Amino acid sequence: MANLPLSGIRVLDFTWAWAGPFCTMQLAHLGAEVIRVETTARPACVTRLIPPFADDIPGPNRAGYFNQYNQGKRSITLNLTRPEAIDLACQMVRQCDIVADNFAAGVMDKLGLGYDKLRAIKPDIIMISMSGYGQTGPYKGFVGYGPPASAASGMFFTTGYEGGDPGEIGISYPDPNAGIFGAFALMAALTHRALTGEGQYIDQSQFETALALMPEGMLEYELNHREPGRHGNHDPVMAPHECYKAAGDDEQWVSIAVGGDDEWRALCRVMGQPELAADPRFKTAAARKQNESALDEIVTAWTRGRDRWETARALQAAGVAAFPAMSNKDLSEDPHLNERGYFAMLEHPEVGKRQHAGVPWKMSATPCAVRSPAPVRGADTEAVLKSMLGLTLDQIEHLRKSGVLV
Amino acid sequence: MDVRSQAASPFGAIKIVECGEGIPAAFGAKMIADLGAEVIKVEPPGGDLTRRRGPFPGDTVDPEKSGIFIYLNANKRGVVADLKRPEGRELLGRLLAGADILIHNVAPGERAAQGLDSAALRAAYPKLIVAAISPFGETGPYANWRGYELTVANASGWATLSPGASPYPDLPPLKCFGSQCEFQGGIHAAMVALAAYMHRLKSGQGQSIDVSEQEVVAAMLEMNFMHWSYAHRETSRLGSRLLGPWFISDTADGKIFALAVEEDQWKRLVELMGNPEWANDELFKDRIARGQNQDALKALMGEWLSQWKTQELYREAQGRRVPFAPVNTMRDLYESDHLAQREFFAALEQPGIGAMRLPGMPSKYGATPWALRRPAPRLAEHAEEIFCGELGVTRERLNELRKTGVA
Repeated sequence: MANLPLSGIRVLDFTWAWAGPFCTMQLAHLGAEVIRVETTARPACVTRLIPPFADDIPGPNRAGYFNQYNQGKRSITLNLTRPEAIDLACQMVRQCDIVADNFAAGVMDKLGLGYDKLRAIKPDIIMISMSGYGQTGPYKGFVGYGPPASAASGMFFTTGYEGGDPGEIGISYPDPNAGIFGAFALMAALTHRALTGEGQYIDQSQFETALALMPEGMLEYELNHREPGRHGNHDPVMAPHECYKAAGDDEQWVSIAVGGDDEWRALCRVMGQPELAADPRFKTAAARKQNESALDEIVTAWTRGRDRWETARALQAAGVAAFPAMSNKDLSEDPHLNERGYFAMLEHPEVGKRQHAGVPWKMSATPCAVRSPAPVRGADTEAVLKSMLGLTLDQIEHLRKSGVLV
Repeated sequence: MDVRSQAASPFGAIKIVECGEGIPAAFGAKMIADLGAEVIKVEPPGGDLTRRRGPFPGDTVDPEKSGIFIYLNANKRGVVADLKRPEGRELLGRLLAGADILIHNVAPGERAAQGLDSAALRAAYPKLIVAAISPFGETGPYANWRGYELTVANASGWATLSPGASPYPDLPPLKCFGSQCEFQGGIHAAMVALAAYMHRLKSGQGQSIDVSEQEVVAAMLEMNFMHWSYAHRETSRLGSRLLGPWFISDTADGKIFALAVEEDQWKRLVELMGNPEWANDELFKDRIARGQNQDALKALMGEWLSQWKTQELYREAQGRRVPFAPVNTMRDLYESDHLAQREFFAALEQPGIGAMRLPGMPSKYGATPWALRRPAPRLAEHAEEIFCGELGVTRERLNELRKTGVA
């Protein structure tokens, strides 16, 4: 346990919703002690309040959303509207390496937990604020969520079926993306501190982290003053490149993407139409791209009567990239993910053993694993106040009674 | 540009070698290169595949003018080495002897032949950090399966959810624009590589890292996976929204994404709409009802929305803390006053193209200098500088390697 990359690193985590917790979960995966500060005094963390709940029975400790993205962390309750709670938080900062929040811009300052104050308490503290639009600029006060960030970043405008309207992208992608960029930035700041002794403040805008993922579209405009357009699942160069109907209901599809001529010939062989490979309409990558519609019809005619896995396996055996469109159930049962030990299933005091996405990387010398399930709200308040601040049980009880620890 | 970004970076001490074509490793190495690390990009003879993907100025394919290549590889120096040949692997060995981190996305099945087997690298370079990215990871039944962006978008479960609340069951699961799964493979690898670097600062020990794009994206599906593991419901791109309003609608000059998550946001939106009678209807009594009756809601709100200009409505709604957002075009982004004030775009002088503005620093660091310090390399631009100037290869030998197509 002591041998993880972030062993000995302590994080005071004020994040809520999804982007922030996704960030600090990465730190927990890597061995940091992450102490989540929660409160019931203000609107509680939304991810404890929305479905799915375990077996559809609502409860703050039963929400899958919270329990997935807070694995490996501790939880304390602090009523941040009370000055005593802010004092306690400041005392804890003295013993922390990182402070993280994803409140709207300026909220940490208003709470009395701004960077300047925290730096005075702990000069090499590393602090990250992950807001919707950043701490400066005309939109700094705007309300940010993941889906509007998808709209603002151009992801909606560029995603959609050929000839159709801008599409939504299925998940609130800019949220976990802001989280992973935040985790990278914290790793950079920790590295910086390890090399120089210096801490720092990171102002991260969810909007801007989404734009880091839009270079193909943005540079189309920058270089050619043209919008990239919407092309469904099609690729600017590769064809065939589509998710094709497979046998069965509306949810049965199989993606096929052909990169080079070898792969094209292999696809023709597996489809039992080797003569297609020599067809002048499809002979070169450029020709295939030009005659993509005809190609899609030919491939669909082949896939639509076949089981999606049969198609995927036959093509992969021939070196062609193919894979079924996976549902959550498919992922849960997938032999590959299970064999790799991807899923974390630890005993949680209220929901028992449930399957969660675990650590999505493997390290040979410092193997990471989810070390504990998501915390029950406030589970660690007493232990943390005792061990970190040396408070007695009487003092804790007094704080609890006076509404500081809710 | 921030004054500090011109200062020397502590990351200058970190030496990175990058190989494998395409986006994942290039993006991961870029993340660290932009902080000041020294990155040497190793391309195959003929150049990286992104050199052929564009976007290109005037749509003329030119390996030195690909927009995506430039975005990914500014700040790096470049060499060519054919890792499929022993002479190329000998060059790689010289590069790795002085490196702290190797980041690559060569497919697991091709690694041994290119001198990139993780276990062999650990044995040969015990202090080296090897961050290896692949579609499915280096173990398990799909380790050798081929995967492109579209493949991973489907294998991870993302495509199945997109477009959300789709009314078109006959249209396929839809990938998001661009190369999202590949970018995620890259940034996860970069983050973990830095964690491994810190471990090495303490212990002196290197290691290898196995990053699966399928796994990193499957960990980003919001609450969709837990719908199965907590409540045994299979998710789908088809169906209705959990809450409303949550839709894209036309304005007088573009499109707006209309959203109200909290009840107080809805109240302020109703005020902004001038308190229309219909807003009191049972159909719209709370966010769940508004999600279920989204079509009716969209029709009723549509006329009001269509009278606004997108950016004006955006500011007006946000002024009332209603979380609308414009469905921005690429032009809107380049013309955004907010991004301009935050100095988001990074200027680069790229030979052959001239001045261009690239998406810039994604997280604003108070102390670590972030900067575009050099343009993307021409194919094999730094071969002589690196191989001869720094690694002791003679000019005669380099010429020989060039003639035989190795370098």
